Amino acid sequence: MRIRDLVYETGSALDANRGRSLLTILGIVIGIGAVIAMTALIGGIKQSLVGEMGLNQARMVYIYCWPGRDITLDDLTALEQRMPEYECLTAASLANAKATSPTKSVDVSVEGVLPSYFKVMGAKTTQGSFYTDEDESASALVAVLDQAAVHQLFGNPDEPVVGKSVQLNGVSYGIVAVMESSSPMSSNGTVWLPFSTCASRLTGNWAVNDISGLAAEDADMSTIASTTKDKLVSYFNMDEETADEDIYVQTMQSVIDELDAMMSSFQLMMTAVASISLLVGGIGIMNMMLTNVTERIREIGLRKALGARSSDITKQFLLESVCLCVVGGVIGIVVGYLGSFALTGLAGGMLDVGGESAAIVPVIDVQSVLMATGICVLIGILFGYYPARRAARLDPVESLRYQ
Amino acid sequence: MLPVIDIRNVHRIYESAAGYTHALKGVSLQVQRGELLCIMGPSGSGKSTLMNILGCLDTPTSGTFMLEGADVSTLTDDELAELRATRLGFVFQSFNLLPHATVLRNVMLPLVYSDCPVGERRERAVRALRAVSLPEPYYDHRSNELSGGQMQRVAIARALVNDPAVILADEPTGNLDSATGDMVLSTFTRLRDEGKTIVLITHDPEVAAWADRTVHIRDGRLLTDEQERALLAADPTVRSST
Repeated sequence: MRIRDLVYETGSALDANRGRSLLTILGIVIGIGAVIAMTALIGGIKQSLVGEMGLNQARMVYIYCWPGRDITLDDLTALEQRMPEYECLTAASLANAKATSPTKSVDVSVEGVLPSYFKVMGAKTTQGSFYTDEDESASALVAVLDQAAVHQLFGNPDEPVVGKSVQLNGVSYGIVAVMESSSPMSSNGTVWLPFSTCASRLTGNWAVNDISGLAAEDADMSTIASTTKDKLVSYFNMDEETADEDIYVQTMQSVIDELDAMMSSFQLMMTAVASISLLVGGIGIMNMMLTNVTERIREIGLRKALGARSSDITKQFLLESVCLCVVGGVIGIVVGYLGSFALTGLAGGMLDVGGESAAIVPVIDVQSVLMATGICVLIGILFGYYPARRAARLDPVESLRYQ
Repeated sequence: MLPVIDIRNVHRIYESAAGYTHALKGVSLQVQRGELLCIMGPSGSGKSTLMNILGCLDTPTSGTFMLEGADVSTLTDDELAELRATRLGFVFQSFNLLPHATVLRNVMLPLVYSDCPVGERRERAVRALRAVSLPEPYYDHRSNELSGGQMQRVAIARALVNDPAVILADEPTGNLDSATGDMVLSTFTRLRDEGKTIVLITHDPEVAAWADRTVHIRDGRLLTDEQERALLAADPTVRSST
């Protein structure tokens, strides 16, 4: 029996049972769909993380520290000298204010930040340029808005606003720059002021709320968290026992690690669901193939009388079940890929890096497609072998007489 | 001349839960090339068993079966399958065509198993269909769209397509009315005239009348026409083989 004949026989057999075949492969479709949706989603999340991370962001470190007293800018300068592993440290204080443009009035979050903050964050402007050290020391009335704030206040995130002014709690600030934000239409606006301006005009308090640092280019990112913690403990004379609760150092690496841990448990769950579905699907295929063999006993007897060897019959039925599974797999790959787009909406909320939720595009790679196809072939062989052997072992005389 | 079929002292004993069944008890039979032989017998006489052995679907428990001079009784299953594919043609009472396949596809089916090059198949199938006088417009019809007589002619074409040594026909007219049956039988005699060897199995004396020679099988033993008549004359209570 030639390959070409085998393929023809398989095609016409599947064609004759189209409706039943489609129902049978549903289990395979769901199983493979789940696997593909999952891998496409995780691939997409990883890629968007890497894409989100600028060159500086890989070196960015968030430091949360509660030494039992307010941290001041002097502390920051002292820490900077003690920690040569950082290119610079920067400070932020947080506030809220009512922002008013000539046309609108909205609530925004306000951050008082040193000019170095923008460098540490790797922030980019869409117009204008960030304020300078002179503005900082003069407590100048200047403000940086993000695109979301521009959208809220002026109606369009790309509205040219540099040179215009915005009022915060009744005080007017000149807009010097607009910072790029990844989802300007959805998030609430943020306004950045020089640290000194924010302290004197809005909070009335010179305490530092957040410290962030940009690690030096040659710094070892894997140990920087523990080194930083030790130095903070000794600088602030903190109790070592409670240091774990009072100090938290987060690098981008640790964000990715956390995400990986979460993803792998998610992946495990999905794999379990997929395997059960594939198992059930495989049993369905076996059931259908057994029915098929019983229905076609006379045909099998005829084929044997006309000269088919047992191996020809085995091959014919085995190829049929493999084809069923592969068709199911291909449909599953398409369904899974489409389904992963629906899932990205769900996952987008979980992925909140640096205050901005990232846009995820599912990524499907050749490797997972090949793997899915391979799994289908395997299931087809595994669950098709028994029915195929049963067909092959039928006695031609008995089969021809079968009614 | 070497007989196409040469069976000597063949026994066939079946083993089943009910015990042993001695279906053939020392059958010997020779069939010459170009002969149209008829085997008659009532049901349960061992007719089907003999047919299965002649068709290489079953092997004798003892005795020898030479097909064209080659010993069949020692062959493996795969070798028997190859023999069926190349040297034997089957015609069944219930036609046994693949209902959804076209006439041509049905006739080409044995070529799939005899390793015939794909390019030659159509031509050979058409030649076989011409030999049974099936009109060309039917070639691409599905076989379940044909009448009984047409189906049986397709089945004969299928039996012919590999140019076998023997065509075995098991009650080929059993499902046909007598006019159609006669047409099928005249197809067989024409093939016989062209040199084909044909073995017909039937219980119908009208069918047997078309044959060159008739043998009777009774309780697993073969009788010639004369022996059968003598048996019936001596004991009227014996059931006729019809």
